[in-house]
Amino acid sequence: MTDVNDVPKVERPPGVPMSQWPSAYEYVLPTGAPGTVTLTIDGREVKAQTGDLLIKVAQDHGTYIPRFCYHERMKPVGMCRMCLVEVEGMRGMQISCATVVADGMVVHTQSDAARQAQDGVLELLLINHPLDCPVCDRGGECPLQDTTLAFGPGESRFVEEKRHWEKPIPISELVLLDRERCIQCGRCTRFADEIAGDALIAFGSRGAHTEVITFPGDPFTSYFSGNTVQICPVGALTATPYRFRARPWDLSAVETSCTTCSVHCRGALESSSNRLVRLLGVDSEPVNHGWLCDKGRFGYEVVHSEDRVRHPMVRKNGELVECSWPEALDVAAEGLKRALELNGPKSVALLGGARGTNEDAYVWARFAKGVVGTDNVDAQLGDGIPAEVALGLPEATIADLDRAAAIVVVGLDLKEEVPVLYLRVKRAAEELGVPLIELAPRDQGLTRYASTSIRSLPGEQGETARRLADALGGARGTDAGADAAAALLEGRAGDIVVVLGRGDLAESAASTVRAATELARLPQARFIVALRRGNVRGAMDLGLAPGFLPGRVTLDAGREWFGHAWGSVPATVGLDAEGILRAAEQGRIHALMLLGTDPHDDCPDHALAEGALNAAGFTIAIDAFVTDSTKRADVFLPVTMWGEKAGSVTNLEGRVQRVGQKVSPDGTAMPDWRIAAELALRLGVDFDLEQPEEVQDEIARVAPAYTGIDSTLLRRARDGAVAPVADHRDELVLGPVSIPLTDARWEPIRPGLDAVELEDAKTANDEADALRADRLTSVAQSAGAPPAPALHRFTGGVTDTAPPARDAYALRLVTGRTLYDGGITVAASDSLSELVADPVLLISPQDRDRIGVEDGAEVRVTSARGSLTLAVRADAAIGTGTAYLPFNLPGSGVSDLVDLSTAVTDLRVESLS
Amino acid sequence: MGKFSGFGITLKQVFKKPVTTRYPKEKRPKPERFHGRHVLNRYEDGMEKCIGCELCAGVCPARCIYVRGADNPPDAPVSPGERYGFVYEINYLRCIHCDLCVEACPTEAITETKLFEFSFAHRADAIYTKNELLVDDEGHAKRQPWELWLGGEDDETSAWMRATSPSGAAAYEGRIVWSSELGVGYRQPEQGQRRKKAD
Amino acid sequence: MAFSDVNLTRARDIVARYPRPKSAILPLAHLAQDQDGWLTAEAMEEIAVLTGVTPAEVQGTCSFYTMFKRRPCGSLLVSVCTNVTCLVTGGPAILRHLTERYGDDDDVTVEEVECLAACGGAPALQVNYEYHEQLTPEIAEALVDDYKAGRRTPRTISGAQR
Repeated sequence: MTDVNDVPKVERPPGVPMSQWPSAYEYVLPTGAPGTVTLTIDGREVKAQTGDLLIKVAQDHGTYIPRFCYHERMKPVGMCRMCLVEVEGMRGMQISCATVVADGMVVHTQSDAARQAQDGVLELLLINHPLDCPVCDRGGECPLQDTTLAFGPGESRFVEEKRHWEKPIPISELVLLDRERCIQCGRCTRFADEIAGDALIAFGSRGAHTEVITFPGDPFTSYFSGNTVQICPVGALTATPYRFRARPWDLSAVETSCTTCSVHCRGALESSSNRLVRLLGVDSEPVNHGWLCDKGRFGYEVVHSEDRVRHPMVRKNGELVECSWPEALDVAAEGLKRALELNGPKSVALLGGARGTNEDAYVWARFAKGVVGTDNVDAQLGDGIPAEVALGLPEATIADLDRAAAIVVVGLDLKEEVPVLYLRVKRAAEELGVPLIELAPRDQGLTRYASTSIRSLPGEQGETARRLADALGGARGTDAGADAAAALLEGRAGDIVVVLGRGDLAESAASTVRAATELARLPQARFIVALRRGNVRGAMDLGLAPGFLPGRVTLDAGREWFGHAWGSVPATVGLDAEGILRAAEQGRIHALMLLGTDPHDDCPDHALAEGALNAAGFTIAIDAFVTDSTKRADVFLPVTMWGEKAGSVTNLEGRVQRVGQKVSPDGTAMPDWRIAAELALRLGVDFDLEQPEEVQDEIARVAPAYTGIDSTLLRRARDGAVAPVADHRDELVLGPVSIPLTDARWEPIRPGLDAVELEDAKTANDEADALRADRLTSVAQSAGAPPAPALHRFTGGVTDTAPPARDAYALRLVTGRTLYDGGITVAASDSLSELVADPVLLISPQDRDRIGVEDGAEVRVTSARGSLTLAVRADAAIGTGTAYLPFNLPGSGVSDLVDLSTAVTDLRVESLS
Repeated sequence: MGKFSGFGITLKQVFKKPVTTRYPKEKRPKPERFHGRHVLNRYEDGMEKCIGCELCAGVCPARCIYVRGADNPPDAPVSPGERYGFVYEINYLRCIHCDLCVEACPTEAITETKLFEFSFAHRADAIYTKNELLVDDEGHAKRQPWELWLGGEDDETSAWMRATSPSGAAAYEGRIVWSSELGVGYRQPEQGQRRKKAD
Repeated sequence: MAFSDVNLTRARDIVARYPRPKSAILPLAHLAQDQDGWLTAEAMEEIAVLTGVTPAEVQGTCSFYTMFKRRPCGSLLVSVCTNVTCLVTGGPAILRHLTERYGDDDDVTVEEVECLAACGGAPALQVNYEYHEQLTPEIAEALVDDYKAGRRTPRTISGAQR
């Protein structure tokens, strides 16, 4: 045996990140020049692109070749051998999933030899597959069942005992593995490795003993683990929340958008007996590629939580007691009227709205601004990005990431906040070779894939962004990191897509605004503003932001237009969330509406929120749960949640998509917008809105950025519509565009599950053209209407103040959101609430040694605002001089430390031992 | 003459043996595969045969069966295997006794008895839950308070069984394909049509 | 730390030889096995860190090969062949004898293996994959004792120092 020492040394190319190394599977992937080839499949001549895979070409032309391991969104691997076909002139059978089409190829998928091969493979796969279909979650929608029925032998020659394993074993809190059922297609392991980047599962052992393994003590805790359950072609992987809840034939589905975060992945929401039981990812090309994160996938459990408020309540003798809707609405309206009469509209404020639909946001905005007359309205809680920035930056779509010259991620940890956007950015960087420049205070999810990472201390983000923008703009030489980033762009044309978010809630938003201002100077910069809250973008777009009216127009610009449409608008620009809370604390808010928001837990400045909630006058809670904030309400109006109401939502790229109703609510909860309409009626204004479609049509009529996005378009547009639709007309896909393969429902589920696609393609396309042309026209001008206002543009000009110098003993606090946090979606879901981690203060190893504490020791953390005691751990991902604490984890108390009015938060960390 | 000819028929009938059965004092024997009320069977060790797979509910043309499965508690399993029937309900206001549920059942958990004397005065009584359908510790159907039992039909719970093997091959005729059962044990296979022809 | 300082330096050298660190999983697994006699969980974790993959991938790779021992194994691995030629020339007797003799010796692990391709010299065995042929139970015992006493030097695959 050769000693490994004798092997000649190979120099590794220096400085080439792992993401740019050639893929392990590249040998099957074609690299031919683009062109068209002609081949014959089952006697039919078809055309295909050079480099296309045979299985895909056949499918696109209506020939379904059975397969298990092949998945359109992953690289082919050729493990299951199910897709064997006969190719004339090639010896033996070819696996069509790894065979590249060639000119003149003659393929037989149904010849005797091919059928015999398919029979043989299926018989082999079934040798060890248990026939426990009646108890298997996959039974009834199982690709192996379906394929066996369609292509397999009826009988097996195998009469011996099958292989046995302990079943099922948990490989994480959410996923169970039944190794007996596994057919070793490698979909789950490839997904974990290639797509999610968390290769926590792998194949172990060999031959008939091959099994999917996790490393002992290292479970499959990927944020994307649920996708492996969806793509498993047998019932080997099952999800604990769905396990045995229903069988496929008693499910019914509606296509919807997940609103757990602001990416709005498409999904098929399924229910059985009026209970939501499952959300499956739908393969939407512009958004989620079929993937979901686990929080989104299993977050539906919150809808059926025992703690839901089912009937309206009013406060009587200090207690919230159930009452009728008319009574609750009367009390709420009376409270508002009293505040208006005594103190005027400026004493009324509305917080929240990011949890609802666009219809909710619009009708509440119309109620607050057009009826009550207050502009003290904010869908964020001092933890976001001001609307004048978020709504005014030049926009990029998610799909633009794939063809960008470079991607710049500013601040936030995409993996924790918007996980599926993380997958898209990761794919663009890793697979498509788009340079990824990361600007963050610490190492986070994307750092592994970043071409270059620029670290900045909290408060210095604006300055770092300035240097980066200078370098990208051509002025080099000031900063080595920025120069390195700029060098990556050489020879690359296209836009620079900036993903902008708040990486640190302990530093003031001005820092992020400054970074945006600096980067927006670049002419090729376009932005994706990544705020996490479900429909925060829709809420801001439709007027739930101070100084804005629906459709991305400022109060001043839209005064005349909305004055005509609504009757009246507020006289002056109102307060944002921080201002509202401060005013409330000082007793200047006499009526406060909490629209699905929890400032007590969700505002970075806890002392401010607590003071404000205590001092606020009449409080109306419009929510589904009694939280620390809404328990103080004088009137509690229960609302329907996602899955219980239809409507539309706008994601972080401005894409308006539908959400569907699948179940009816327990109790008498109403959609948020109905409540606003009812209150308006009691204040003397009849909105005359009965159905969500009517609200959509009104939005399309009056909100300038949403011109043309009416109920018809929303119903017909397969992938939704990006607002303003006039700028994205070409992206609209209407009517039937492909023939859905009904026998491959488990394959990437195509969008259009419930779209009106009954017409034949010709008519539909004609109609689609007409519909598209229709969107060209501006807002329908009625007689006497003023000219439509221009959309708001962010012109920069907001400056941040330089942060105070950090003294040598202090650590600067970084606090960001984690996926499984203290929010109600997690807390009220049985499966997800188990996954919340204990809060730990993370500091750099150098700082740990300086402070002189052990990992796991308790420390006292003190800021100018307050102090708390918690465990500490060193982590090399944290920069020296900073300390990281996750935001809004139960027990973390980080909001006790933060003062919203300061630029940064400095901490003293003392050892308690 | 003409007006009396009708009485002739009446007179003839008077001396004929009546066909009326004096039910409920006496009963006609039921056909072997009579479709009566359902029971949920148990194995000889007392474990329930139902695994909650919902195939019966899926095949039911009257949509009268509601089943929900659940994880078997590992320390006190209700049925062999991972899953058991957690909820099992049949609405007899809708059931048409077609026996497709019995055909669909992969574990012979649900069968129909020859019991037909059950009527109800309340709608709620028409919905038989698992508690009412499950056989007792001797393997017999449990009598419900509102059921009129006159006896004779409750001895054998699983009067119906497949005439042929699951694969449908004639070669399997006469072979026992029935799992052992509480109180009854293995059932002898039915005679197939082939043997009847030979007789 | 699973690797000793010396072996850790070696491990880093090995990783540097490959264009992709992942390729070094197998040589590193050999190194770890030669150091500890078997592949400990800690070693697999450290290999994962050194090669930039997850521990599950390291375990997956190593468990493919039966010659990576994932349960405690003595520093002397005696593999006794009992395939056809050895079977008829006394292999099972050697196996029985050595199993009894070293059954509670932590330094010596006796295993039964399939054909070693040494039929010409049957019965045969390997001590740390070094061949010894034409044995009797007594000669085999003396042989293993020689290794134990240091009169013979057991090989390691990676050349690592114990």
